Amino acid sequence: MNKSSFGKGFILPLTIMSVMALSACSGANGDSNANSDSGNAAASSENTAAGNTNTSTDTAATSSGDAEELTLFINHSWYPVKDFTGPIADRITEKTGVKLKVTVATDDKQLPLMIASGDLPDLIFSASDIDRLSNANISYSWNELIEKYAPDFQIDATRIAINTMKDGNFYTIRNAFATEEEWKANQYALGNDGNPGIAVREDIMNELGNPPMKTLDDFVNILNMVKEKHPEMVPLIMDKNWIEQYFMGQFGIDTGIGNWYESEGQVNYWLKHPKAQEFFLFMNSLYRYGYILAENFAHANDQIDDEYAVGGKAFAHSHTVSVADRDNISAKKNGAAYTFKMIPSALSEEKVQVSTGIGWSGTFITKKNKNPEKSIKLMQYLASDEGKKLTMFGIEGEHWTWNEEGYPNLKYSTADSDFVNGNGIKWWFLYSDAIVEGLWGYVPGTQTTQALIETKEKTVYKPEIGLIQVQADSAEKTIKTKIDEMVTNEKVKIYLAKSEDEAAKLFENMLKTADKIGLAKLDDWANKTYAEKKALFK
Amino acid sequence: MELESAATKTLTSRERTYVWKRFKKQWPLHVFVGLGMVFLLIFSYTPMFGIIMAFKDYSIVTGIKGIFTSDWVGLRYFEEFVNDYRFVELVRNTLVLSFLKVIFAFPAPILFAILLNEVKNMAFKRFVQTVSYLPHFISWVVVVGIAFSFLSTDIGILNKLLVTIGLIDQPLDILTGANYFWGLAVSSAIWKEMGWWTIIFLASIAGINPALYEAAQIDGAGRLSRIRHITLPGIKGTIVVVLILTIGSILGGGLVGSNFEQAYLLGNDINNSTSEIVQTYAFKVGLADGRFSYAAAIDLIQSVISVILIFSSNTIAKRVSGSSLF
Repeated sequence: MNKSSFGKGFILPLTIMSVMALSACSGANGDSNANSDSGNAAASSENTAAGNTNTSTDTAATSSGDAEELTLFINHSWYPVKDFTGPIADRITEKTGVKLKVTVATDDKQLPLMIASGDLPDLIFSASDIDRLSNANISYSWNELIEKYAPDFQIDATRIAINTMKDGNFYTIRNAFATEEEWKANQYALGNDGNPGIAVREDIMNELGNPPMKTLDDFVNILNMVKEKHPEMVPLIMDKNWIEQYFMGQFGIDTGIGNWYESEGQVNYWLKHPKAQEFFLFMNSLYRYGYILAENFAHANDQIDDEYAVGGKAFAHSHTVSVADRDNISAKKNGAAYTFKMIPSALSEEKVQVSTGIGWSGTFITKKNKNPEKSIKLMQYLASDEGKKLTMFGIEGEHWTWNEEGYPNLKYSTADSDFVNGNGIKWWFLYSDAIVEGLWGYVPGTQTTQALIETKEKTVYKPEIGLIQVQADSAEKTIKTKIDEMVTNEKVKIYLAKSEDEAAKLFENMLKTADKIGLAKLDDWANKTYAEKKALFK
Repeated sequence: MELESAATKTLTSRERTYVWKRFKKQWPLHVFVGLGMVFLLIFSYTPMFGIIMAFKDYSIVTGIKGIFTSDWVGLRYFEEFVNDYRFVELVRNTLVLSFLKVIFAFPAPILFAILLNEVKNMAFKRFVQTVSYLPHFISWVVVVGIAFSFLSTDIGILNKLLVTIGLIDQPLDILTGANYFWGLAVSSAIWKEMGWWTIIFLASIAGINPALYEAAQIDGAGRLSRIRHITLPGIKGTIVVVLILTIGSILGGGLVGSNFEQAYLLGNDINNSTSEIVQTYAFKVGLADGRFSYAAAIDLIQSVISVILIFSSNTIAKRVSGSSLF
């Protein structure tokens, strides 16, 4: 009896276990179902969206022939527009006969998987994996397509040079680039929103008696005053992607994180900059004196800092040059009584801004493309003066008029992201340049414009440094990825160190680890590449 | 089936007809087994060919074909990982997190099942059981969201409460502090999965002959000694089987699983020194960077450790308790 009860006691749980295992499977299935459901929902909303464009383009199609639907993968998971709809998109379809079916990346792992599996869309818009996509097995080269289908598509020599790969072909032209000459020739073209800036609460500045803000020390003093007067407030909140840039610039570090800087003809990885340690200790002091939150370094998304600032829980907000204008719009919508203003772009004599930009994101026409001819012609249209202005400013007359001075008079605020994104303004810049984007940023009288003018005055252009790019699957790439990854992990420890000594020690250790991983080898390679690329600009 | 026919070759014709007769009688069962084997073959064994990637200089631009055509590089990626400056830290984090889960998360449902079994009020018992296994159905993404609203230094209810009643001056950085991560991961995993695994132990307890309890009661055994001498020995077999399964999947988090989800979702730049595990590292440097070979090598190292663990735990279980999986 004993034995049989043991048997029963054993078989029943086993059965349950197998049922549970099965249900776990079905649970997983359930999950994936849920996923595919949402996928379907997304797809069906896309369908309806596509349906809408259908109806609107049907009328257009009568004038421009049948619209070809091409799939576009946007490799920027944060991309604010997800559907090819709205007046700009419709106009592009009307002019080019191309409709886009858009997929926005869910994360940075998706594109490598797509490349590996060969499951590619017609077009890819990406700022990373440029060298992988620039491969004759994956994409058509533009030079080949231009020769074949669009011989009148003119691209200037500099752009071609900086986008040409080792095999002598160019597979894309990155947008958001302008040569130094172009910058100088267009005084109203300012930098884009990719420049750092800090906004502070105007009312609290008044309350503090508007203390001077000329140096970095002044700024720190003000943070301290805020901390004393308003202990419930966070003195400085930072966007997770814009933590260091502003301060690095003030210390005269003429490069970005993970990049190279040039000094006396030699390039070095940014960690080796003579001011790097000073900068790290400064960041650490911000934390030790309680001006920034530790949690700031663990923000899961880039909305949390906005909530702090707009919600009145923070005094200063570090983000880009447009941060004050954007915060003001959001604060106003929330019914808040306070406003933000930018602090000066330069708080020190040493402030530098180096533009190593060689462009940002480019469009690739993949080998799976249904219609390479229409694809390259789409690029040609977007590259035309008309196309660039349409994508960046909007519909002429409706959204903007041309000011004889040489810039557009916009009928909307560029900081009003709801309007901009809702109409699909700017975001279809699959081919564009920094000048037209810079003109879009020129709105006389706004704080963003003021900050950008200040920034442009301090900017030095060194695109040849931007061309030092490690190639996929190379030894340098492995070293660089490891060092970058290591720095990402270690830098926060330095910022959050309990004492200055500890911070200094951690900084030393970080340099040592970088050396161990192979920093010297990486810098050697960078110098060699730098010498090669410099020749391109002569 | 090919295997079967190969095995029957050596049999005499009389035996063959016997086997055939038995097979005919059992054919519906064989269909089930066959389907299961086909499933395993397609979804578990075929993809294993991809493992050769770990020994090859594979570049993703060469596509699926490239897995077979790229050059052999031997153990290059294994060496690279072992020499990685974070190797020791990653393996330590993986092992510590896994073993902590075995130590704390494995006994939890057993104890909970015994406690529930002692509850005499059926309505209450059922209510507690239902409530305790509901979290199993919540995804980790949601659990982390809940954890955030309870534990964050800024808006977390727990921190607010502790500060208000004066137990602490500064809010605890439970979500971001490197020292809290393991505790957070283990306790949230127990919270989420304990109730679910309690079901199986309760079922096992239900299988124990009630006459044993009555007899013990007559002999004057108290509650605790009834638990010790009847309940626990009664569910020993179940405990051992679950333990072996737990250890087999130990590097994934064992019974309660989810090492990857937790490290990925609860990990951040600040607690990285304790939250980064081998799997998340492989995911980050391997997939995001398109270095599939390296990622495959890293995961293969982890699989080897897992296989060693499951064989040794099985042997130990066989020696200690007499029951084992194979």
